[in-house]
Amino acid sequence: MTVERQPGDLRAALAKTIVGQEGVLEALLLALLSNGHVLLEGPPGLAKTLACRSLAAALEGDFKRIQFTPDLLPSDIVGTRIFDQRESRFATVLGPIFANVVLADEINRAPAKVQSALLEAMQERQVTIGPESHVLPDPFVVMATMNPLDSEGTYALPIAQMDRFLMKINVGYPTREEELQILDRFAMADTQPVRCVATLDDVRAWRAAAHAVHVDEKLKRYIVDLVAITRAAQSVAVKSAGGACLKAAELIDYGASPRATLALAFLARGRALLDGRDFALPDDVRAVAAPALRHRIGFNYRLATENVSADVVIDAMIAAIPAP
Amino acid sequence: MARKLTAPLILVAVACLASAGIGRGQTLQRLTVQAFLLSADTMQPQVDVPFHVVVTLHVRERVSAINNLQLPMLAQLELLGDERQTVTDPRGTQYREVVTVVVHDAGRFAIAPATLQAIDARDGKPKQWFTNDLPLSVHSSATHIANGVAAGLFRDIARIVAALIWLALLVGAALLMIFLLRRRTPGAPVPVAEPVSYQRMPSEAEQRRHQIEDALLVLRAERTRSAAVRVRAAVWRIIGAPEGETLGDVLRRPGCSEGPLRDLLVALERSAFTYDEDLAAAVDDAGAALERYAEALT
Repeated sequence: MTVERQPGDLRAALAKTIVGQEGVLEALLLALLSNGHVLLEGPPGLAKTLACRSLAAALEGDFKRIQFTPDLLPSDIVGTRIFDQRESRFATVLGPIFANVVLADEINRAPAKVQSALLEAMQERQVTIGPESHVLPDPFVVMATMNPLDSEGTYALPIAQMDRFLMKINVGYPTREEELQILDRFAMADTQPVRCVATLDDVRAWRAAAHAVHVDEKLKRYIVDLVAITRAAQSVAVKSAGGACLKAAELIDYGASPRATLALAFLARGRALLDGRDFALPDDVRAVAAPALRHRIGFNYRLATENVSADVVIDAMIAAIPAP
Repeated sequence: MARKLTAPLILVAVACLASAGIGRGQTLQRLTVQAFLLSADTMQPQVDVPFHVVVTLHVRERVSAINNLQLPMLAQLELLGDERQTVTDPRGTQYREVVTVVVHDAGRFAIAPATLQAIDARDGKPKQWFTNDLPLSVHSSATHIANGVAAGLFRDIARIVAALIWLALLVGAALLMIFLLRRRTPGAPVPVAEPVSYQRMPSEAEQRRHQIEDALLVLRAERTRSAAVRVRAAVWRIIGAPEGETLGDVLRRPGCSEGPLRDLLVALERSAFTYDEDLAAAVDDAGAALERYAEALT
């Protein structure tokens, strides 16, 4: 008798290695189920690399880490052609992007042409080296990180490029209890990532199942309303740190694109599947709304001058739309 | 079938909406009830012929709205319209609600009393007032015609003419009396009537159980997505959850995170959002969960 493996098994396996960081783990799994990529923003040392490595190990997949630096070239990521003197012909050497799970560390440290090379590969799921096109492995998940503490010598990602990421997660520090568990798990013992919980075929099957998750008409309208309010948020009020009452529309230059609408639907379906359901609920949409929207909204300078957090504005807009 | 069910569905929603405020601890109005009546423009309506059921309430206080007035469950009737009027004058407030209904089956049945919950301004105690009930005898059109022919057309006409004369005399006498009374004692207070009836106010759990049982009736009668969504909304109102929250928000409310209520909320969410092929099973589960929750409330 074979036991059918579920995405929840993978989450449980990752949780045996990673302490806390449920948001990061869920984002990784949702990206896997929705065939998307994740942008992580947070300080160093918060188990981002370990999470990616653990995911790849649990899936029997390949893992590659690319440290983005100012002198990085596109060929360092996608690969290049070198001349083989013995064979007297050019041979293609594939870059580190050819892996199932890729960690693009500090993506904003590389110049725009390198970022573009990565983001194009993420979108097209293939790269062209010389005259040949090479299809990237399937599944293919990129987890890119940005460090918010140290912005000197960085190249900001344009919103049009950030839009390629399915979701953006703000990674926070662990709680005191979690930090104690981290000590026990990694300083007092030698915890290794759990291996071979699922196969790449399982992932493809889960992805098909996620695609079949039912999204009710009421839920579709809710999704569209959530995205629409980011473009016309005159009725949404937010409070600045100084206590001033502002209209959210005054802080926003442009709202989320239709790609955000699709992302919300994909992520809600993935979350429903993770929860063992074959139909999505308003809770699924609301849970993924902030990660799906926060990097797709163009905030203006007033956000900084009024000392308002972008997440406060996004939460206010989400709260302004009643769930069905 | 769907036509007949419109009234109970809407009235369940109205009743739930009206009583949800009490469930959230809303303050009862302080009223001096002087008259509280249920009437109809005919006690012998005919099948498929609309008629009116009227709830009349007179209170001494001048209020802009009457809260916590619950209409009876008009399960056998189809609701065609509902018109409310609140008139305030120096003598108090007259509330009149005219419900236009139609009945599709012949027979005898009674409309249960309407209820009003308020603080009795006479003694400061919370009370529940009931109107009279309303026995109706519904005739089919064929029966009516047959009876009419058998009784004799002439006799009917004679009765109608006599009745009209009597009615005209009575109306004339009443108008004359009103005219004389108004001239002699302008602004005389309306005589204070005792509450039509008084009994212990039902507990919150009892009210909630009745509402859940009503919701169960609705779901059993109409096993559609639309009914499931309405029952879900009614149950949310019963437990005091505002519209626009998600299931996760509701489950975080005190008392909602475990036991039969949690199962009920989850089952109703499924019936509201699942795919069509799963709807019948989801509605069955929701019905069973409603039963279990109603039992838990007893």
